[in-house]
Amino acid sequence: MPDIDTLKTEAKRILNEGIVDMVIGFRAGDTLLHPQPAFFKTAADVDELVYNALCQNNLATYLTRFPKSQKIGMLVRGCENRSVNALVFEGQHPREALYLIGVPCEGIVDWRKIVAQTGEEVISVFEQCDNTVLIESKAGYFTLERDTLLHESCARCIHPNPVSADVVIGELLPEGDSALARDKVAAFADLSLEERHAWFRQESERCIRCYACREACPMCYCEECFVDHISPRWTESGTTPAGMQGWHIVRAFHQTGRCTSCGACERACPMDIKMTYLTEKLNDDMRRKYNFEVGLDATTPPPFSTVTLDDKSRFVI
Amino acid sequence: MNLILKKDQLNIVLNAWRQDYEVYAPQSLQNITHFLPLQDGFELALNNAHNTRIPPKALFLPTSEALLKFTRFGGYEQIPSETAPRVIFGVRPCDAHALTMLDTVFEQERYTDPHWQARRDATVIVGLGCHEPCQTGFCTTVGSGPFNHTGLDAILTDLGEIFLVETLTEKGERLFTQLEPSSEDQNTHASQLQQSAADRMPIAFETDGLKQKLDQNFTSPYWEEVSRSCLGCGVCTFLCPTCFCFDIVDEAHRGERVRNWDTCMFRTYSLEASGHNPRPSRVERTRQRLSHKYSYWVDQINQIGCTGCGRCVRYCPVGLDIRAMLRKAHQLPSEVPHA
Amino acid sequence: MPDQAQSPYLPIPMHVLHAYYESTDHSLKTLELSFDDPQDARDFFAAFNPGQFCLLSVIGKGESALGVASAAWEGDFVRFTAQKLGSVTTALHALKPGDPIGMRGPLGNGFPLEGWKGKNLVIIGGGCAFSTLYALTKHLHHPSNRGDYGKLTVIYGTRTSGLCMYKQDIAAWHQRDDMEVHQAIDVPEQDWLHHVGYVPDVVKEVRPSPVNSVAVVCGPPIMTKFTLPALVELGFSPETIFTSLEKRMKCGLGKCGRCNLGPKYICKDGPVFSLAELNALPADL
Repeated sequence: MPDIDTLKTEAKRILNEGIVDMVIGFRAGDTLLHPQPAFFKTAADVDELVYNALCQNNLATYLTRFPKSQKIGMLVRGCENRSVNALVFEGQHPREALYLIGVPCEGIVDWRKIVAQTGEEVISVFEQCDNTVLIESKAGYFTLERDTLLHESCARCIHPNPVSADVVIGELLPEGDSALARDKVAAFADLSLEERHAWFRQESERCIRCYACREACPMCYCEECFVDHISPRWTESGTTPAGMQGWHIVRAFHQTGRCTSCGACERACPMDIKMTYLTEKLNDDMRRKYNFEVGLDATTPPPFSTVTLDDKSRFVI
Repeated sequence: MNLILKKDQLNIVLNAWRQDYEVYAPQSLQNITHFLPLQDGFELALNNAHNTRIPPKALFLPTSEALLKFTRFGGYEQIPSETAPRVIFGVRPCDAHALTMLDTVFEQERYTDPHWQARRDATVIVGLGCHEPCQTGFCTTVGSGPFNHTGLDAILTDLGEIFLVETLTEKGERLFTQLEPSSEDQNTHASQLQQSAADRMPIAFETDGLKQKLDQNFTSPYWEEVSRSCLGCGVCTFLCPTCFCFDIVDEAHRGERVRNWDTCMFRTYSLEASGHNPRPSRVERTRQRLSHKYSYWVDQINQIGCTGCGRCVRYCPVGLDIRAMLRKAHQLPSEVPHA
Repeated sequence: MPDQAQSPYLPIPMHVLHAYYESTDHSLKTLELSFDDPQDARDFFAAFNPGQFCLLSVIGKGESALGVASAAWEGDFVRFTAQKLGSVTTALHALKPGDPIGMRGPLGNGFPLEGWKGKNLVIIGGGCAFSTLYALTKHLHHPSNRGDYGKLTVIYGTRTSGLCMYKQDIAAWHQRDDMEVHQAIDVPEQDWLHHVGYVPDVVKEVRPSPVNSVAVVCGPPIMTKFTLPALVELGFSPETIFTSLEKRMKCGLGKCGRCNLGPKYICKDGPVFSLAELNALPADL
């Protein structure tokens, strides 16, 4: 757990010294289980900084809102740092105009997993040093193992440490076991075609096309998303099976070589749709076929975003 | 009329209704509570302290619905409305109240929406009051309540082993003809529960003068402050029981003109063909959403356009809380009247 | 099976009678549509009021809201002029006489002609927004209508003479003794006989009197923005200045929510509003 005072001191310093105009972090929410992304403009604002396991959003998604000239500080965990690198590579913000306060991450606790055990009416939540979370709800007191509450993307996280932050606050954590991610993909691939199709349909057809997944994702920053195109019309806009399936498949494919497995999409979804299995498969393909993992640095060209003269050009129209 | 329904009789009653109606009730599907049609062997999910994920407005205004079919030689055919009789059981008062507000949109004198009207006419709504009000709900603040009757044909109060059933309309009476009347004690018990539930809900924000504050501060930096972390997704509006906005789009390959849920929170909502967008950023769009609910609805039907169901608070991916936004609105200056 | 209520989303079946370009650059095209069913025509004209609009439907593309550019007395057809801008208007431009087309309408409130009786009318239009003002002027030209109103002044400006709509008819207006017409273009052109200048400036030049008068302004937002204050300066009160608004529309019935200006829907409570009404609404255009 990072020391919140150290985080605050650093955030205040970079504001006071004019290194950045704004620091993006979190503050306490108006409801207990939902800390809110916050934009601190002055050192006094930073007093409100909160940083805990319930901070469930990938802050890099806010980067593309601001002018590229703006000097921005951001608290970044492992996946967020990689998302920032991916955005920097895609020209969305110059690295020089960023100051990243890196925080090694023990994983985000999924508030849904809390309420599933404690009931909805949660009164208090304390992360304890022994890797448990103490929760008081109307139904009583619960001491839950942190590992059981982690969001699934965090449970199989390979890179918890920020890879290119300007400063790292907190103890570096051991890299995750890449087998966890690989095994999950392999387990799904081992299912029969019918089982995989049934799962795909079950998950995607809960969709209400609210696009919370898209908005929560740092890599979905297109001013006009493909679903908004009239001419040509790529996919149906409603909740017909064709529309919902088209949305999920194409959004996943647009993430190839760009998704950092942060899971913000799943956490944002109001229908609890599991969708990371699609991007995890693509991420796995990138690792195995191209030896590529996005965002480990800001300069390695993602294979699917780059064209060189050496490329076999048969597929280029 | 007040009647008693023993809890162990509930399934019998529901199955009896199934002879004449399609019955919808809260059930769990993939860990989410939905209003689903009852089938043999059904299991109700009534123990949640609060409402279903998606409000029952979806049973009257589906997420996607075909309005017209295109015929050969360039013609149009109306899609027949659904008129099969239905009962929706277990509707929370916030959601039922919201349906009556949506009636003012869809059942206007000048143009009635036949699809909405047909479903409303064919449906009986049996409510379940909230004796343990939820943490994120604020129905009493906005003129509704955990046992509010508006929009319900009958309402149930959970008295432990039994439900007290209050039939509120003829439609509701017809459903409960086989039950025994309740006793004085039971009526009193229910009243006390109902009152206590309403009393236990804190007032989330002041509504007096709220509309004026919002109207008079159209260009205030307040709107940027409260929308700063908003992602611009559609969660709040899609899960909202009083939101009704829809898009109409032609699905040429299926030969249909379809309406889909839409939201003022999307960029394309008011984007004009010229490229001009009256609401170019989240700031203007958030202003529209809050103003619609807490000002424009008031102008139109003299009611706040929100029944405090709490879904927007519970499911906003970035934890934005409309109650906090409105508390903040009260700190805005009142306009000084021009001399 | 109970009688099904007619859906207000169902277009009236029409066919294209005439289709011709209005502007020399082909960005503006006029369509004149006939009714497949004579009863639909009767119902339409019984309800029609100048200033109203219709949603023209092209199968597979969608609908586009266009002001009606014809008067009822002109015949059992409805005229629209569309600017080619998006996918539906592009499809409208591709229509030829004999092609089927759908139409929903008449929609909206139209001009409050009852309240304007006995008054002098100052009609000010710009660009392709002139279509409903054209309909209004044509309506007023009819002998059974003209006598109800006082002096009629029309001011119509376009960027270039090529973009002027209804050229032949308007050219004939200059010969009429029951109206005054002022045409304008933004920059001088050879052989142009009329005003040169932006509409707000032409309004100041013409100086219409506010006495017992009503002004109605339809034009691109930039024109309206400067014309309304020009009228106020000339002494027109906000209750006597009218304009027709536009916003993205879908249902046209006040149900889909998107064309609202505060608590009013442009499709249902408008599109015609007085400046007094507008001043009470949020600046959400």
